Amino acid sequence: MINNEDQNQLFKLIANYIEKDISCIAIGGTAMIFLGYKNATKDIDLVFNNEKERNVFVKAIEKLGYKEKSLIGIYDKKRQENKYKLKIYSRGEERFDLFVKSVFGFEIELNNNFTQRNDFIEKKELNIYVIPEEYLILLKSLTSREKDFEDIQNIIKKKQDIDWNLIIDEAIKQKNSNSWILIDLEETMQKLNKIIFIKKKYFNKIYEAQEQKY
Amino acid sequence: MKIVPGKYTIELFAEKHNLTRDSAINKLSKLRKQGYAQVSGGGKQKRIYTVSNKKIREPNGFFKILNKYSPEKIIPSFQHYVFGKYTIEKAIIDGLLLNNNIRIRKAMYYLFNHIENWKRLFDLVKKHNLEKEVKKLYREARQKVRVKKIPKRYEK
Repeated sequence: MINNEDQNQLFKLIANYIEKDISCIAIGGTAMIFLGYKNATKDIDLVFNNEKERNVFVKAIEKLGYKEKSLIGIYDKKRQENKYKLKIYSRGEERFDLFVKSVFGFEIELNNNFTQRNDFIEKKELNIYVIPEEYLILLKSLTSREKDFEDIQNIIKKKQDIDWNLIIDEAIKQKNSNSWILIDLEETMQKLNKIIFIKKKYFNKIYEAQEQKY
Repeated sequence: MKIVPGKYTIELFAEKHNLTRDSAINKLSKLRKQGYAQVSGGGKQKRIYTVSNKKIREPNGFFKILNKYSPEKIIPSFQHYVFGKYTIEKAIIDGLLLNNNIRIRKAMYYLFNHIENWKRLFDLVKKHNLEKEVKKLYREARQKVRVKKIPKRYEK
């Protein structure tokens, strides 16, 4: 587990070891720490715009003693064979999950749609962008892990003004590259509906989009 | 104890959470240290505590610098946190890269008055290939507000 303070210190350290300025996007627990929803996370999830930038980051963490780990036993076969194969690096209890462009088919791009930017300025600059809560909910609803559902609940309890339209629109946009996205989202929303009230129109929007597919 | 987010004075916090005044002060102090509360006021002013259910971090990046020096205050379009040294020169570059709106551009005019190191600015300009844009912004700033003169060697 890595906590907020450790995470910031680690990024500052890495900013001393990267060979050029790079940017990436924080997702998962890392993003939740940055946004203040969590105090600690199991792994640091980062998405890079291209392979080159990931390699710069990898070089830096290798210098710090992080070793590449096999995906076997951590992710299923489908995910291991993903086009944008993720790389896992660990050192002791700390683990980096490093993606390029997409997280198991869910495409994430560095555009203006971010809610927070963290600049770690040392010898070089490491800019970490944080995606809005809505994207975090969508990403976490794609996995069927109980822990991720707890994280979604945590976000929803603390942020009352969730933009469901944004979540559903993004899911519709990505349904071609991720065929289960609408089904997973609907399932999560049904579970959430027992805790908070989600308007029926949002469910209808998903059903309509799902029908259009066929 | 369930804490309801919102703005409180010590008395109101004590009343709403069924605490004595001293306990309320202790609780608010703890929350502040943990990052769940922020305080404004003090001295002659009454202290107002903003309590949140998630950790509050005070942004310290581009918008903080911009709003410090510009009379026109800008609502941040994102939260910007910096770990390390963030200079005025870097803020000018960030502002140009954001390329957002006319309000940000106008607010940036005032940053030129606080440049500490022109060389640092032009090194960054070179790095980001923004020479034309910076000079254009500087000329605009010179026309619209009172701005420090650029050293001759960078004038061209």
